[in-house]
Order: sequence, then structure tokens, then C-alpha cells
Amino acid sequence: MGKRKIARAKKSESLEEEKTENVVVLPSVISSDEPPAKRTKWINKQRVLVFSTRGILAQARHLMNDMKRLMPHSKREPKMDHKDDFRVVNEICETRNCNKCIFFEARKKKDLYMWLSNINEGPSAKFLVENVHTMCELKLTGNCLKGSRPLLSFDEKFDKEPHWKILKELFIQIFGTPNHHPKSQPFIDHVFFFSILDNRIWFRNYSITDELASLTEIGPRFVLNPVRIFEGSLGGPTLYVNPHYQSPNEYRKLLRKKYATKYMGRVSAKIGHEERKLKESYKLDQTNDVFVTVGPGDVEES
Amino acid sequence: MESIDSDEELQQAFAKDVLKPGLNLEVAPKKEFINRKNDMKAVLEKFKQNLDWIERLDLTTKPPAPEEEEEKASPEDKSVHDDFRRELAFYKQVQASVLQVLPKLNRLGIQTRRPDDYFAEMAKSDRHMKRIREKLIAKEISMEKSEKAKKLRQARKFGKQVQVEVLKKRAQEKKKMLEEVKKYRKGQKDKLDFMVDLEDEEKKNKTRRHQTKATQKKEQFMPNKKRQHKNERFGFGGQKKRSKSNTAESFDKMTPVESMMMKQSSRRHPGKKPAAVKKGKKQQRPGKNRRLQNKFRNKNKRRI
Repeated sequence: MGKRKIARAKKSESLEEEKTENVVVLPSVISSDEPPAKRTKWINKQRVLVFSTRGILAQARHLMNDMKRLMPHSKREPKMDHKDDFRVVNEICETRNCNKCIFFEARKKKDLYMWLSNINEGPSAKFLVENVHTMCELKLTGNCLKGSRPLLSFDEKFDKEPHWKILKELFIQIFGTPNHHPKSQPFIDHVFFFSILDNRIWFRNYSITDELASLTEIGPRFVLNPVRIFEGSLGGPTLYVNPHYQSPNEYRKLLRKKYATKYMGRVSAKIGHEERKLKESYKLDQTNDVFVTVGPGDVEES
Repeated sequence: MESIDSDEELQQAFAKDVLKPGLNLEVAPKKEFINRKNDMKAVLEKFKQNLDWIERLDLTTKPPAPEEEEEKASPEDKSVHDDFRRELAFYKQVQASVLQVLPKLNRLGIQTRRPDDYFAEMAKSDRHMKRIREKLIAKEISMEKSEKAKKLRQARKFGKQVQVEVLKKRAQEKKKMLEEVKKYRKGQKDKLDFMVDLEDEEKKNKTRRHQTKATQKKEQFMPNKKRQHKNERFGFGGQKKRSKSNTAESFDKMTPVESMMMKQSSRRHPGKKPAAVKKGKKQQRPGKNRRLQNKFRNKNKRRI
């Protein structure tokens, strides 16, 4: 154990003590050797590691950077090289002293998945990220202080089902900036908004511009399609599987199939039509023509 | 199709050779999705934070009630794909939640606006915000232009009608004027209305024009505020070159005697045109002597 680690361990111990005795009564006489007990205002110590696997798209990278910029309690980490085993993520988070993590997983240079996890104890959730708009876009005109705390506004539906409740708690703990965080600002000038529509979670970020609550959007925007919720951190037994989720691979396969069968369908329709077609339109009596006389006019015409 | 046969039944049917292609469909087994509600509740209890609201800052709000007509027009699953309506609903919902929470924040003494002298780094850089502003302005300008073009197009459509109307109006006015003149001649009226109006307008225009021009010139040649103040304090030691010559202003200010002098001096320069004589005064005929002098002078000129 290095010196730093020992020091850190001691620190954390002292912090725990402070948490337990919230109100500290200072003794009337203090010996000059021991420093007076401090009352820290920063109670809610959340540290979020934001990072990704290799091979994420530029837009996803920008989204990640936006998250880092908006969350003063986040830490960064180089892109991870492991492709299959995400249990390493837990270790990385521990070494960086983080208890929460936002982990972006890129697949096939097309699809982006986001993991939100409470490190070690769990739970964790995996989402498919769709419809991303980053903060760089010029149509999102709002602005806010860097590191100001966001309000977290949720849709009513988050309180209805247990899986939404779990996700809500995860969002609050991860996206909420702790009060009195040293890098945060003492003003609240923007709102993170989570809504549920179409079995997906829609994320928006608005700045509060005045007292009448007129808003302008800051960005980023994205839609989270929940895939699974796990009991552990980035793994473990599954708590919930989203029945409405369709993986992008499946979706693309269906699309391709649709296009592939287009020609087949047309050909088979043609053949079917030929088969069903009657040779005669309706039954005619052959003797009908017997009494038809040919006049002089008909001859001229022909 | 409707009944699902078990494997055994199918095997028997196959043995009897009853199975034919097209009669049976393979049904995919029903997927069972995991949804452990009780466990989820337990997990939630375990990792939930018991902290004050100020540490968490979470709100929940109802979505805004859609108006009946809107709802009929497109139910929810359709409105998801209608960007404008969806975003508007989000905006309203967030606004409602913020309005709900603002008094609470005030009570806790947290501000939503930083004071003007509080400088700190913003989430978006100044450079980025400048680009945003430029884009907004460009958009506004293009909108204005397109609107103008639209109006022009409309005007062109109705241009002919308008022209006809204008001509009619003019003809009417002329007719009216002529009638009035007739009446005046006959002595039924002692004053012509339109003439009075015209005179008034002219006077007004003249004074206005004069003033505006004068002020404009003044402003053009004024030094800046600082210089003016210094000139007042220390005196202006600069140019004296043109201080003695008259300007339009000084000419206006001149006493009658001075102006007479000016007129005389101008007579010494026959090439220049005399200053415009005011319309109201009658031009006096010069005396006999002067007329003769003028005559001689002109004759001399011709000879030269």
C-alpha cells in the first residue's frame, strides 16, 4: 500500500465518521495540536466515470464529451480495448475512485449502447442510444454555466413500473450534480428532462432563461431504448428485459429482407395472375354469328 | 391455422401421410421476457439514497393535457413521430415543472440567474455562441427577404388593378379642382382650398429641409466629445483659415446692413448669380442712373 492510498483510506474513514454524526458539537476547549473537526457541506459524493470502447463514431464521441462537460462530478478515461468482458470496467472504475459509470459501447461502427451502472453493488442498465444530437449543433441555441447543477425533471410514468423506478433512481444518482461539489457553481440554470414515449426514454436539456420559466434548449438530445436491467454492475442476473426492444441487427435484417423479397413478390404475383386468368371472358353461343348479315357499308370499311 | 398441434399429433399425421405443404405453419415459440418485479423493488430499496431534496433536485410532472381536437387528429403513438408537436409537449412539461419548483428554490435561497458581474466559464464557448448568433441573424434576414419577395409578387399580381384605381383617383381630383376653380371665378368662393393647403405644405417642407440639412452638416464637422470639452476648456488653437469667410449659417444670421453689403460686393463679381430673391418681395426697379450704368457695362462687355 502506497502512502497516498493510506492517506485516502484515512480520509474516507474520517468522512464516514462525519456522515454518521451529522451535528458536531465542538468542545469548548481544544488543544492546539488537534485540528478542529470540519463540517463538510459536500455530502453526496458521487463520482462518475465517463468513457467508451474503441471504435465509437465521431458523433458518439461528441456526445460523450458533452456529458463530461455538463457533469462536473465526472471523470474521464482513455477508450477501452476489451471487447467482450465488461467486468474490467468495474476494476477501472475502482482504480479511478468512481462509484458510478456511464460507459459507451460501440458495435459495428454503427450502433451505440450506453451502460449506466452503480459500481460493485449494482444495479446496471443497458440502453440502445438512438437519435443523437450533440451540443455542437447550431439549432440548439441555449447556454448555461459550466458545472452548474441541473434540475432533473421526470415524466409521471417513471413512478408507475418498478423497472422505470430503478432507472429513475439511476438517472438521479448519475446525472445529478452533488450539492456543494467543488467544481460546481452555486446557481441552478438548466434542467435535464427525462420523458417516456413509445417505450423509450427521451433526454432533453433546457436552460432556464428567466423567472417566467421560458426555456431554450442547450443539448444534447438523445433517445435511450432500454435493453436490459441487471442486478449486478455491468452483468449478473437479469432483472428486466424490454419486450419492445428490437436489436438494430434484427431491424436491418428485416429491412434487407423486405427489399430482397420485393422482386420475388412481383414475379410470383405475375405468375399467379397468369394462372388465374380465364381463357374466355364469358361463354358465347357459337350460333350467334349465323344470322349476322354483311351490308355494303361493312365491306367498304374493311 | 387457429389450433396449435402438438408434436405427437403432427407425427401421427405425418405417418398417415395427411400432411401436405401449405396446410401447416411453423409457429415460433412464445418468448417469455424476464420481469422480476419483487426483486426489482428490493434492489431499489437497497441502493436508494436517503438524502434531502436539495442534494437530489428531482421533480416529477404530468405531461400536459392534450387538447381534444389535437388528440382526435393524432393519437399519442403518432405524435411521437411528429417532431414539432412532441418537442412542444416536452417544452410545456418542463416549463410546468420549473414553474412548480422555482418558489421552492427561492425559499432555499438558490438563484437561477447569476448576477451580471459573475463571470465563469460557460458550457458553450463564446466562439460557438457567436456562430449561433450569426446563424440566427442570417436566418432572420433570409426570412425577411423571402417575405419581401412574396409581397412584391403579390403586388405585381394586383399591380394593374392598382394602377387603374390610381388613374381614376387622379381624374377625380382634377375634376374636383376644376369645379372649385369655376366656383372661385364666379365669386361663389373667396378662397381656394387646395391652394391654401399647398402653400402650407410648402412652407413646412422648406423649414424642415433647411433644419435637417443644417443639423446634418453640423454633426458632420463636429469633433468628438472629448475634443469638444478640451476646446471649451483650453480654447481651440487650430485652423483660422476659413474663419472670416461666410458660411450658410452666418449668412442667415446677418444683420440687414451686412446683407446689403454682401449684395453690393456680389455686384463686383458679375459672373456670379445673385442670391435667390425671396418670392414674397417685389423686385424693385433700379434708379435711372444705375440702369444707365448697367447698360454701359453690358455694352463694354460685348466689345471685349
